[in-house]
Amino acid sequence: MLPAAAEKIEQGNSLWLDAWLRLRKNHLAVFGLGALIAIGLACLVGPWLSTHGYEEQNLELGAAGPSRAHWLGTDTLGRDLLVRLLTGGRVSLGVGLAATFVALTIGVVFGAVAGFFGGKLDIIMMRTVDIMYSLPFMVFVILLMVFFGRNIILLFVAIGAVEWLTMARIVRSQVMATKRMEFIEAARSLGFGRRRIIFRHILPNILGPIIVYTTLTIPGVMLLEAFLSFLGLGVQPPMSSWGVLIKDGAEKMEEYSWLLIFPGAMFSLTLFSLNFLGDGLRDALDVRSSKD
Amino acid sequence: MRPALLVLLVAVVSFCTAPGCLKRESAVQRGNRDQVLHRGMGADPADLDPHTATNIAEIDVTSALFEGLVAEDPLDLHPVPGVAARWDISSDLLTYTFYLRPDARWSNGRPVIATDFLASWRRVLTPSLAAENAGMLYVVQGAEAFHKGATSDFAQVGATAIDARTLRVVLEHPTPYFLSLLTHPAWLPVPIATIQAHGEAYTRGNGWTRPGRHVGNGAFALKEWRPNDKIVLEKSPTYWDAARVRLSAIHFYPIESVEAEERSFRTGQLHITYGLPFAKVDAYRRNSPALLRTDPFLNTYFFRLNVRQPTLANEKIRRALALAVDRKAIAEKLLHGGQKPATTVTPPGLLGYTPPAGTPSDPTAARALLAEAGFPGGKGLPNIELLHNTSANNRLIAEAVQEMWRRELGIDVTLLNQEYKVVLAERRAGRFQILLGDWVGDYLDPTTFLDLWRSDSGNNHTGWGNAEYDALLFSAARTADAATRAQLLQKAEALMLAAAPIVPIYANTHVFLVQPSVRGWHPTLLDHHPYKHVWLEP
Repeated sequence: MLPAAAEKIEQGNSLWLDAWLRLRKNHLAVFGLGALIAIGLACLVGPWLSTHGYEEQNLELGAAGPSRAHWLGTDTLGRDLLVRLLTGGRVSLGVGLAATFVALTIGVVFGAVAGFFGGKLDIIMMRTVDIMYSLPFMVFVILLMVFFGRNIILLFVAIGAVEWLTMARIVRSQVMATKRMEFIEAARSLGFGRRRIIFRHILPNILGPIIVYTTLTIPGVMLLEAFLSFLGLGVQPPMSSWGVLIKDGAEKMEEYSWLLIFPGAMFSLTLFSLNFLGDGLRDALDVRSSKD
Repeated sequence: MRPALLVLLVAVVSFCTAPGCLKRESAVQRGNRDQVLHRGMGADPADLDPHTATNIAEIDVTSALFEGLVAEDPLDLHPVPGVAARWDISSDLLTYTFYLRPDARWSNGRPVIATDFLASWRRVLTPSLAAENAGMLYVVQGAEAFHKGATSDFAQVGATAIDARTLRVVLEHPTPYFLSLLTHPAWLPVPIATIQAHGEAYTRGNGWTRPGRHVGNGAFALKEWRPNDKIVLEKSPTYWDAARVRLSAIHFYPIESVEAEERSFRTGQLHITYGLPFAKVDAYRRNSPALLRTDPFLNTYFFRLNVRQPTLANEKIRRALALAVDRKAIAEKLLHGGQKPATTVTPPGLLGYTPPAGTPSDPTAARALLAEAGFPGGKGLPNIELLHNTSANNRLIAEAVQEMWRRELGIDVTLLNQEYKVVLAERRAGRFQILLGDWVGDYLDPTTFLDLWRSDSGNNHTGWGNAEYDALLFSAARTADAATRAQLLQKAEALMLAAAPIVPIYANTHVFLVQPSVRGWHPTLLDHHPYKHVWLEP
């Protein structure tokens, strides 16, 4: 009689489960993930729960420090900073996620196609990327804003449309390395089509770098939105975004320090969290790292 | 130690302890030593032609580049001799005879003579120049007819040169403030020969105002003009009173952002700022009151409502907008420089004139009016755009009013901000719906604020015109009795405010920063500071 335990066949862990197990051991990454979820939820539901509106002014009160009625204080027009911070978070996080999604989609497809087919097509596609790289980025965004007017949708698209370049390069190099591996050779000899090989065999194997680069793109895009709003090209008043709040706060920091401290802290926390999570994911998704 | 090394060491040590190495000398300190004034001027001037100057920055620079028949006293701005050494006034107060000083010269060395003034006034009044301020010359007999094209014969205009140094001006009606009027840029002489050398003299933008070409007759001459960077004026050696001018140069910096300007001041780049962010007024009042100035100022902020726009053509909607603004909250809570809520376009401080009751703040009445106009609760009203020039202070006011209109009337207003030059172009073309603007009095009389809204005024821009209003101003100008005249003006203002082509917001004070080394910068109601009397005391 064989012992019952011996009957159990060792279960292989999926890539995702392995990654999750590794990620869980990385305290900073877990902290980052938790903080991001908390911030996201707060921005999503916070403004509904608050008794103040983000555009509601109280000139009588003016700029006042944190109090029981206004937890994070009010700005010079007497608007509740907490609500403006959370509403602004929707815009900033929204721009971050949407623009990154645009960048991800274009970049992955573009890079994968260029890397897989190679040859003349690759040269043409990558030189296009080089040319777009050489465009002064800010000028491009400002031009778009001037031509098409200011609206948030366009802001997403404009930022996403220029953020995909690096992603395309990364994906291309990964695809070129992967396509020479034996399992691709095997897929080829089984007669699979190119599309199936790219999307079912190559891409899942280079997900690690893609995800890592994505988490690093989000803060970059958020910084960019902040910068555009800082220049007055971002969201329109009375809407707020973290960039707008930080800009306003920076102008008034000597007098009303809380107007800079809270938005600044929130923004920094989000960026740190994203970077920690990105770092953690890089380690966790690296298939070559030891399975301890 | 080798002698060469020792010498090097001594050289380095002495160099580094010399003034200027450890702590770099600021522009202000250097300026104090060399009598170079560094002046923040707000928006960038579009041109340096006095005849088309409309904004404060342009008027400020041209006042240093040119001198009119009379100049202003630095303390209370009463008229003092300028190009004219003296003048006679006839007993009926209609004929003025000016005697020009023989040593008045242009910066190219040519003398300033009586016909220079005639040619200049002709230029202002020529319709093709489209000078916004041409209306200022209407007090001269026949000037209005010439400007409106009723006659093209300038001899019909009541200004004649008796000889090269004698100029006679006949007025349409007695004008007690005529001499003060003469200091306005529209009356300044321009070098017609120079202008013609660079193109057409009777249209705009011929380029004669570029450095190297520019010719003036003021205490200072144009040396350098880099748009959006700085304008450099140097003391003019040909000015008749050059011995009295103490500044050697003035550097004007167009810094549209009040925050950036305040930073420049703090780091010692500016002697005087144009403005100050509202949020910083209290901090300066507390920490360095010596640098802060809040001078009385004949200046009103208001919205122009473009009555050519379909929505704003409706008087009820315009009045609803005017009634829904909480002026008291803006003046007292938002601004911190002693500004007063303005219910009328004429600010307080004009002697002998009491403004009418004006537009109260009454949200309930505003809502009722809007409902009467067919838009109860703002429903169905198309989105309205509010244009203002880029400045933190303007944005604050625009955002505050945007929220008042949203809260009280349910109206959605989109804010648009543009560079000042763009705003000016849009304003001239009438491409705006609501425009935040202000007006600084040009002389001490209510007509400097009321003439704006005449249907033929070049500064009206609202498209609003009313025959009765024009008639009231016309008869007021021809009324000798001060009390009756004031009554007529008051009636006109009440009539205009009831139609609400504009929405007054607040009567301003001039809040700015000034270094203690600046002397001769006196508080004056019009915020004019003749540069000839300004100096720096290190």
